[in-house]
Amino acid sequence: MKRFMKVVLLSVFALMFLFAVAYAGGGEKEKGGAEKAAGPIQYKYLKWYDDGSVDLITFEDNEIIHLTKKDLGSLFGKGKQPFKGKRIAVTVNNGGPKGGISGPLYRVRPAWEELTGAKLDIVEMPLAEQLQKTINDLRLGGGQYDGFVEGAWYMGEYVTPGFIIPLDKYVENPKFPYWDPKWLPKSLKDIYTWGGKWYAVPNDSDGQVLYWRNDILSDPEWQKKFKEETGKDMPFPCKTWDDVIAIAKFFNGKNWDNNDPDPDNGIVMHFKVNAQGMFHYMSLSAPYVVMPRNTVDRSTVYWFDPDTMKPLINSPGHIKALKVLYELQKYGPPAQASWDLGTAWDWFLRGKAIFVFSWGDVGELVQDPKRSKIKGKLGASILPGTYDVYDLDKNEWVHFDKPNIVGNTTGGSWQGVISVKSKNPDVVYSLFALMATKPFHIWNVNRGWTGVDPGWITDFLPPDGTADLKGYLDAGWNESDLKFFLKAYHDNFFAKTMLPYLRINGTDEYWRTLDQNLNACMIGKISPEEALNRTAKLWDEITDRRGREAQLKQYQEAIGYKK
Amino acid sequence: MYRDNKIKFMFLLPAAIWVLAFTIFPLLYGLRLSLFNVKIGFPDEFVGFRNYVQIIRDANALHSFMVTLIFVAAGVTVEIVLGMLFALLFNRPMPARGILRTVMTMPLFATPIAVGFLFVTVFYEEGGLINGILHIKIPWLSTYFWSLVSVILVDIWQWTPFCFLVFLAALQGVPDDYYEAAMLETKSRWKIFRYITFPVIQPTVVLVLLLRITEAFKVFDIPYTMTGGGPGNATQVLTMYAYRVGFRFFNFGYASAISFVLFIVVMFIIMTLFKRIREVYK
Repeated sequence: MKRFMKVVLLSVFALMFLFAVAYAGGGEKEKGGAEKAAGPIQYKYLKWYDDGSVDLITFEDNEIIHLTKKDLGSLFGKGKQPFKGKRIAVTVNNGGPKGGISGPLYRVRPAWEELTGAKLDIVEMPLAEQLQKTINDLRLGGGQYDGFVEGAWYMGEYVTPGFIIPLDKYVENPKFPYWDPKWLPKSLKDIYTWGGKWYAVPNDSDGQVLYWRNDILSDPEWQKKFKEETGKDMPFPCKTWDDVIAIAKFFNGKNWDNNDPDPDNGIVMHFKVNAQGMFHYMSLSAPYVVMPRNTVDRSTVYWFDPDTMKPLINSPGHIKALKVLYELQKYGPPAQASWDLGTAWDWFLRGKAIFVFSWGDVGELVQDPKRSKIKGKLGASILPGTYDVYDLDKNEWVHFDKPNIVGNTTGGSWQGVISVKSKNPDVVYSLFALMATKPFHIWNVNRGWTGVDPGWITDFLPPDGTADLKGYLDAGWNESDLKFFLKAYHDNFFAKTMLPYLRINGTDEYWRTLDQNLNACMIGKISPEEALNRTAKLWDEITDRRGREAQLKQYQEAIGYKK
Repeated sequence: MYRDNKIKFMFLLPAAIWVLAFTIFPLLYGLRLSLFNVKIGFPDEFVGFRNYVQIIRDANALHSFMVTLIFVAAGVTVEIVLGMLFALLFNRPMPARGILRTVMTMPLFATPIAVGFLFVTVFYEEGGLINGILHIKIPWLSTYFWSLVSVILVDIWQWTPFCFLVFLAALQGVPDDYYEAAMLETKSRWKIFRYITFPVIQPTVVLVLLLRITEAFKVFDIPYTMTGGGPGNATQVLTMYAYRVGFRFFNFGYASAISFVLFIVVMFIIMTLFKRIREVYK
């Protein structure tokens, strides 16, 4: 018996060894294979037409995306593979072949490889490790990765040390796949550029809007009940955060949805530590802190004093905003303090909350019948505002007759950047540019699972943009939901006043500190004042440790502030 | 004689190289890092003991240290007690004992990351496994107290089988003669355990205690996946804080100092326990 076991074990080891050798050998073969290949190119994921246009067939789904010759760029064509034998590695959030942001890379990879002759390695990384791994690679000179699909808040970490290359020489170069910077609103352009130069190829457009259950809030019966109970008309559509609180309070604890016998909530948010909960605060607080104007001055800077780098996070506008957020979270499920994004979204999709304010993914996921019970019942708008705004320049509250509405680009707006260490920047750019072409981008936006949210004029319906309603409807959108959704995002990205985006060195650290204190506040452990005072103190320490002068200079550059 | 010694040293050399390369060098390098302000790609800046002084001033670090102490004290105590109780139970004849023993040890082989994610669903407050079945509303993961309890419970679930397994092996090594002789004196099971069984297996208990304390101080995966250290910083253990400081905020010098303090604390506890063992067995 022992002898038999020995034989089995030895056989297993021998097989594993042979497999390892064969696998390693296979890799080598593939590398060499590209050089050996000759003769006509066999196309499986591309179908060429005589006019030079092409059908790009997506991986696994076999969906067809038609690109004109202009979309494709002059470098590419039937029988041409200008980057044959080259290989690039691109990092992306770990989501797999059907995940948000990573999914489109997998879908396009075989077609792009046939188009260019190059090979693409998709390197997935958890969100929490992305910056650390890529920065270590760049600083230590490893140069393993050619490009990154990165969150916009990493931009300062990459740009100022010169870790990524400017892309201006590629943009509008007709050799490469065509995308037009004019498609983007200024709000998004600001986070793809640095000091007037393009550093990222546009891909995703992140911003938070308010979603609600339109079937419930527009129901006269519920409006009547609201008046009976509160003595006031239901403040719908909501103009201010106080309106949202009033409605959320009324509906919280009532079983207003017949999906299950349990009571439902007024709102749902997510506050799990290290799970992007602080974004809720940023979006909500913007109208309390940013004065209604479209200039960069001391009254619109939100984060730090642009002359001293003193944190503004514990200024009266911020404290008021956090009190509002604290009040609002009372009308959601208590467990949301430990929920991540997906869990909170699912609560809304299951019909358990009247409101959620979040990214474009929510509108898109509502259309997925496997996950959502509320398709066709959605309403959406730009986030509400407030009548009273704290002027950070004059240090006083200012009252307005109309609510101060502030748009935001809160989130990652996941974008393609190219490493300075890459030996093949042209190859990397061709990939990102192909994904930014109008046909591929709108294909992404039409299909919510891709994680690519709308924000360009090519994504909006006329008169706001140039998109085609049919494309969305064919992808499964409910028309009413879609119109609310696109209008909300158009209003958001084209808002007159925008929340400035933080993208300096240490942004992640500043935000994590805020996140932890917000969470402690949301569960009642510390007061809003205490949470923000602690945050401000820690922000000062971070700034001092990283070098106040350097941080200040970078902050001014990042937001475009001039004294 | 000289030649014999040379051969002896030749045999010792691989082990010595191993220890130097993988234990002493990282330790010294870690110590060096903790005395510098380190930014990868830039020259290191010597800061002396500033990183260590910073720990005393850093409320977050002190809090994380306290959380770690509570985690270790509560978790390891319950694991040892439960492990012993199960070992005593399974050391007796019973039907399907072999199968039950195997089932008992299964949590030990689960990956902590997977365990963390699994227990997020178990502790899910809105109809998760526990609250759903028992029709209760315990805020397992959304309050300071319960989130720490949850994380400790998961650690207990995973590591009690280890204690059980080792204790069981030790119990089976106690000669039957001892019990037979003891039974002539008393029928009290407690007395037999107190004066016969425990003293015999005591070295094993201490060994398990040492191993578990060392491992528990290093816990990371379970709180990281279950709570991310939250709510607030309720379940942020010191290793997690060091990770955040080092790998999220790139403050490697300070992270090394934190890790070094943790190392010193664990070493102190282990040395104290060893000293105590030596005293007892002298």
